[in-house]
Amino acid sequence: MRTPDVLGFALAALRGHLLRSGLVLLAMAIGVAAVVLLTALGEGARRYVTGEFAALGTDLLTVMPGRTETTGGAPPITGETARDLTLADARALTRSHAVRRVAPINLGEAPVRARGRSRAAVIVGTTAAYFAMRRLAVAQGRTLPEGDPRAARPLVVLGATIRDELFGASNPLGQWVRIGERRFRVVGVVERRGQQLGIDLDEVAIMPVAAAQQLFDTPALFRILVQARGRAAIPAAERDILAIIRARHEGEADITVITQDSVLAAFDRIFTALNLAVAGIAGISLLVAGILVMNVMLVAVTQRRAEIGLLKALGAPRRRIVGLILAEAALLALAGAVAGVAAGIGAGAAVRAIWPVLPVTPPWWAVAAAVTLAVASALGFAVLPARRAARLDPVAALAKQ
Amino acid sequence: MIRLDGIARCFTVGEQTVHALAHIDLAIEAGAYVSVMGPSGSGKSTLLNILGLLDRPSAGSYTLNGVATTALAEGARARLRREAIGFVFQFYHLVPRLDAFENVALPLSLAGVAPAERRERVTAALSALGLGERAHHRPDQLSGGQRQRVAIARAIVTEPDLVLADEPTGNLDRASGREVAAILEHLNRERGIALIVVTHDPELGERAARRLTLVDGRIAADCGGDPASADRGRG
Repeated sequence: MRTPDVLGFALAALRGHLLRSGLVLLAMAIGVAAVVLLTALGEGARRYVTGEFAALGTDLLTVMPGRTETTGGAPPITGETARDLTLADARALTRSHAVRRVAPINLGEAPVRARGRSRAAVIVGTTAAYFAMRRLAVAQGRTLPEGDPRAARPLVVLGATIRDELFGASNPLGQWVRIGERRFRVVGVVERRGQQLGIDLDEVAIMPVAAAQQLFDTPALFRILVQARGRAAIPAAERDILAIIRARHEGEADITVITQDSVLAAFDRIFTALNLAVAGIAGISLLVAGILVMNVMLVAVTQRRAEIGLLKALGAPRRRIVGLILAEAALLALAGAVAGVAAGIGAGAAVRAIWPVLPVTPPWWAVAAAVTLAVASALGFAVLPARRAARLDPVAALAKQ
Repeated sequence: MIRLDGIARCFTVGEQTVHALAHIDLAIEAGAYVSVMGPSGSGKSTLLNILGLLDRPSAGSYTLNGVATTALAEGARARLRREAIGFVFQFYHLVPRLDAFENVALPLSLAGVAPAERRERVTAALSALGLGERAHHRPDQLSGGQRQRVAIARAIVTEPDLVLADEPTGNLDRASGREVAAILEHLNRERGIALIVVTHDPELGERAARRLTLVDGRIAADCGGDPASADRGRG
């Protein structure tokens, strides 16, 4: 029997019971749509998060004081007190050829006062390089000036919210604000960025690192942000940083270097694993739909006993009967899968329309897997009814009317 | 063409063994017209099912066109059915969702005949049975006589050597019944297709050149066999 004839016969059989076929098709479609939509959401979340990280610059390394890696063996009895990272350490890092920029960072919290109002702000002590590395632009005025980072010049760049609350609509540039016991002149306002990885950039006050060190009375840096000369230079930069710090810290590389790239990769792995788990759970519904296919095909075989007997009398061998029943199940599953993919993609597009920041797009592997699983499950569960049909005794099947 | 030697068929019903056929010896030549009559339960239908390769005998051997069928595997028996045998049933057994054309085309499509050739042969078979106008009617849009004519077209479209008819007029009024019988006889005469008719109806049974009567699974009478075949041999 030719394949088009097999499919044509199966299709006619399915059309003979529209409601029954339709319901199974619906079950299949819902299962496939669930897989497609859920993985699309998961993929959207993954892309959103990794996109956020990528926006921070994938060529960045963060140097933190103290070593957080765990190694085997007994803990050192003497105890290991990490040396502070200092401004001199930061300056030394610029000697590496793999390093493009270095921004020392000092972080604290202090009230910012002006015109009798006071507002708590996150104080970031850093250099001009920070703005370039974090891709921060100013909405008004300018960034911190280039120059010797050891100079504690009394200048500050305010976050947009701080500016609003202290100055309202009036121009803050050139105005003086009081932070702690010191006075700072406002030179710029950061463009509105909102929350970015835990820090609300609208609520910061950025000042020269030496000024922040004086303000908080500490020579220690919170961390050093390093920009490599491109992503390819990240390993070399990491090696150089460890070597330089080891040389400066009496042979101890008592720092932790985190590359933005490794954070990105970790998130990527986590989200991919989550997405696979979600797809697996949704895939279970396809097995359930497969059982429905089995049920429907069992009913069909019982109802069409005479027809199957006739096919045998007309010379259809057993495997032809099996093939016809499996073709019916496969067509049913395939139609359901196509409808499900369309529904899933449609729902994803709707989510995207409502919530544009989330790039909801079903990954191709999920679509392929859902369709494959739908058809495989239908075929697998249709084997039993198909074999039952093939075993029918044609004499008995034709005798009853 | 057909040779049965010591064919027996028993069924087990509960703890009893029922002998539907007991030691049948029978030879039927190509192009013969044979009726099989007898009371209910005499084994007529069982004989027909064995001849049609739908059932296997419990004992004995059945040779069709020189092929010993009893030893054949299921696939080979199906192939022989497809190529050599056509069936006509009392209840037509048309596929209700398919129209007349598609019903007649079914055996050809099972045999893998290409669509163009299929169309030609189905159209020829339908018009030979006066159904050219009804090709795209579904069974529920046809009368009983027309349905049985579609079933006959389906039986002969593969150009078999043998047509087996089980009570072909049993579900029809007298006029349609006579018409169907005449069509079958015409095909037997003009195309040389051997025709074996199982029937209760003496009027139909008496029309055959050779008339077998079964009683309790044995051939009780066998009338008119050889002269009829000798006639055909000369003609």
